[in-house]
Formats: sequence, C-alpha cells, structure tokens
Amino acid sequence: MIRAWRQFVAIVRKDLVVEFRTREILLTMALFSMLLVIVFAFAFLSDPTRARDYGPGIIWVTVLFASTIGQNRLFDRERENGCLWSLLLSPTGAGTIFLAKATTQLVFTLLMELPTLLLILVFFDLPVVRPGAFAGALVLGTVALSLVGTLFSAMLMNARMKEVLLPLVTYPLLVPVVIAGVKVTSVAVGAPVAEDPGTWLRFLLGFDMIFAVATWFLFGRMIRA
Amino acid sequence: MARGNLWVRIGIVLAVLAAAAVATALYLVFFVAPLEATMGIVQKIFYFHVGSAMNMMLAFGVCALAGATYLASRPRSARVAAVADAIGIATAEVGVALGAIVLVTGPLWAKVAWGTYWTWEPRLTLSLMVFLLFVAYLALRAYAGSDRFGRGVAAGLSILGLPGIYFIRVAVERWGGAHPQVVYKGGLTHPGMRQAFFASVIAMLLVTATLVLMRTLVERRRQQVDALFLEIDRTTG
Repeated sequence: MIRAWRQFVAIVRKDLVVEFRTREILLTMALFSMLLVIVFAFAFLSDPTRARDYGPGIIWVTVLFASTIGQNRLFDRERENGCLWSLLLSPTGAGTIFLAKATTQLVFTLLMELPTLLLILVFFDLPVVRPGAFAGALVLGTVALSLVGTLFSAMLMNARMKEVLLPLVTYPLLVPVVIAGVKVTSVAVGAPVAEDPGTWLRFLLGFDMIFAVATWFLFGRMIRA
Repeated sequence: MARGNLWVRIGIVLAVLAAAAVATALYLVFFVAPLEATMGIVQKIFYFHVGSAMNMMLAFGVCALAGATYLASRPRSARVAAVADAIGIATAEVGVALGAIVLVTGPLWAKVAWGTYWTWEPRLTLSLMVFLLFVAYLALRAYAGSDRFGRGVAAGLSILGLPGIYFIRVAVERWGGAHPQVVYKGGLTHPGMRQAFFASVIAMLLVTATLVLMRTLVERRRQQVDALFLEIDRTTG
C-alpha cells in the first residue's frame, strides 16, 4: 500500500515536472479554451441580459472541449520509446499507473480552468452567488472528465484516428456530467432555475465514485494486449 | 465442423420462426387491431417501434455482458474470448440497426401524435444516447484496430456503458424538472391492440436473435480465416 502510494507520487511528480518545463499541454489547453470563450461571446452575446441562462452551458462546453484537447496529448510522451510498456513492466500496478495519469490530467485541466473561468465570468458578467457549489461542481465534474478521458486516451494511444475517436467515445458517457454540472452552475451564478444543487452534486459524487472504481479496474484488463 | 453446422441449423430455424412471427404480427397489426381514434393509421408505427426499442436495450445489455466476458476470459481461454468478441460486434451492429429504426419511426409517429418531430423527453434522449454508444463501439472496432488492443477498448466501452446508461437515465429524467415524465406508452385498451403489440414485440425479438446469431457465426468464420492466414504466414514466411 505504501509502495503503491510512493509509485503513484513518483509518476505524478515526473509528469508534472516534465510538463512544467515545456508547458505544451497546459498552453494548448489554455489557449484553445480562451479562444473558444471568445467565439462563444460573439455567438451568444447579442443578448447580454440573458447571460445567466446560457453562461453555465458555455462554461461546461469549454471545459469539456479543452480537456479533450489535453487528453489527446496525455500519453504522447509515453508512446515514444515505449515508455508505457516500460512502466507496465515495472513492479508498478496498472491501476496505480492509471490513477497517476488521471490525477495528472485532473491537475492540468483544473489549472486550465482558472484563467478560462475568469475570462467567462468577466466577459459574460456572471456573478458567483454560491461559490461553494460553483467550485464543487467544477471539481467533481473535472474528476469525471479526467477519469473517463484518461482511460480511453491510454487505450487509443496508438490508434489512427484517435483525435476523433476520443470525443466520440467519451462524450456519450460524460453527458450526465454536463447535465449535472450545468444545473449546479446555473444555481451558482444566480440563474432563476428551481433546482436543488445538493441533489446534483451528490449525483456527480456518485458518478465519480462508480466511474473511479470502474475505470481503475478496467484499465488493467484493457491494457494487457 | 459439426458444432458449426449445428448453430447454422439453429439459425435457420430461428429465421423461419422470425419470419412467421413477423407475418403474424403484420397481420394482427393491420387487420385485427382497430384504427386508433385520433391518429389513424400512423399509430400503427408504434407496434414495431416499441419492439425495436426494447430489443435495442436488450442488445446493449448483451453487448456489455459479452465485453465483460471477453476481458475476463482473454488471459485464460482464447476460444471463449473469441466467441464473446463475436457476440459483441454482432449485438453492436444489430443494435445500431435497431436504433436507426427507433430514431426514424419515432419522429414520424411523434409528428402526428405530439405535433413535433423531437422532444428532449427522457425516453427519447436515452434511446439517442444508447444509439450513440453503439455507434462509438462500432467506430472503435473499425478504426482503433482489429487487434486485441482495439477489441479490448470496445469491450471496455460497452462495459462502462452500463453505469453510463444508468446515470444518463437518472440525469435526463431530472433534467426537465423534478416531476417524473408521463408515460406515453400507455392506453392499449382494445384486446386487438394488445395482441398486435405482444406479437410485434415477440417478432422483433426473434428477428434480433436471428440477426445476432447469424452475425456471430459470420464473425466466427472470419476469425477462423484470420487464424488460418496467420498460420500460413507463420509457416511459409
């Protein structure tokens, strides 16, 4: 157990250190998401008075698309020189490797979300009426995105059309996350909706728990070609 | 190949039964069940539409089960894994066909019944998502490689689809508001209608079973041909 934790920390630290040196993934995700926000502004802001109605949707679409951009590159470094196979050959369990990569993806996406959300809140003039619910939905939702995205990003590492296949495969599974996330974020920015954020936050938590176990378990089974 | 021939014979029997069932159902639908008061003949789309939808869901469940069997038996028994894999692709292809039927006949019925081709009502949304998951499965099989890796990914997707479908269902049911949606598939009061409905569901079940069985057999043959090719390559290469 301690050994698995140390291996987990080692892999996460390796990925974060390598990424912070080049900042490839972080910059691509951040730039893409900010450009997407600007496009959304032009697409929707002809009626700024109703920004609270579509603002949450824009937040979640941006987060979803940008995290997919990051997931496409997540295993790029592992593909070169057969690094992933070397990792699997090491005494590290497959599940530990998966959780480490998913955590890395989580960190990258959360870091990307910070400037993006700031931009959205400013451009669309959204107040954060309930910051706890706002942050909670985003964190829980990003965990879900990271888990599902990392699993399929790993499996599709060598596939020909992985940039298209990854969203095609992950988005149907992540639709409940988007639904729940938009519901909570709508309440959090003060939109006049009659929703109980607690229910939807519990929904997201349940989704995270079940999919964490399922993806963690399946990674080991699927990766052994 | 005696075992193979047995399954082919079962398939032929199933096909004959399915044909008979479809003929019976068509007769009941058009000649026994009465014309519905407000919708007229368009209401009769409903009979095969519901049968297709139910069987699409059943196919998804079987696909997920096959995927789990594939991943579990892959390190142990290559034959069980191959059969499970064949069942997986067969149910996915038939499921996509059924989904296409559901998503085309549904709007045709809805335009007359509700005045609009599509609503984001829970049952429709769920059918759409199941269809999309099937399409994703087939895309994975086609483009993520037909090697063990590609088949493993598709199997994983079908397994994750089970909790995925549960969460999608809960989410879309609460999406439109806290109150549960009214079931629109009620109200088959006339016994003729009930007979036709029952017959068409059974007919679609038999058709689905026949198609899945036949496709599985074709896939098994393809696997055997592939293995022979590899054998030839290995011995002469």
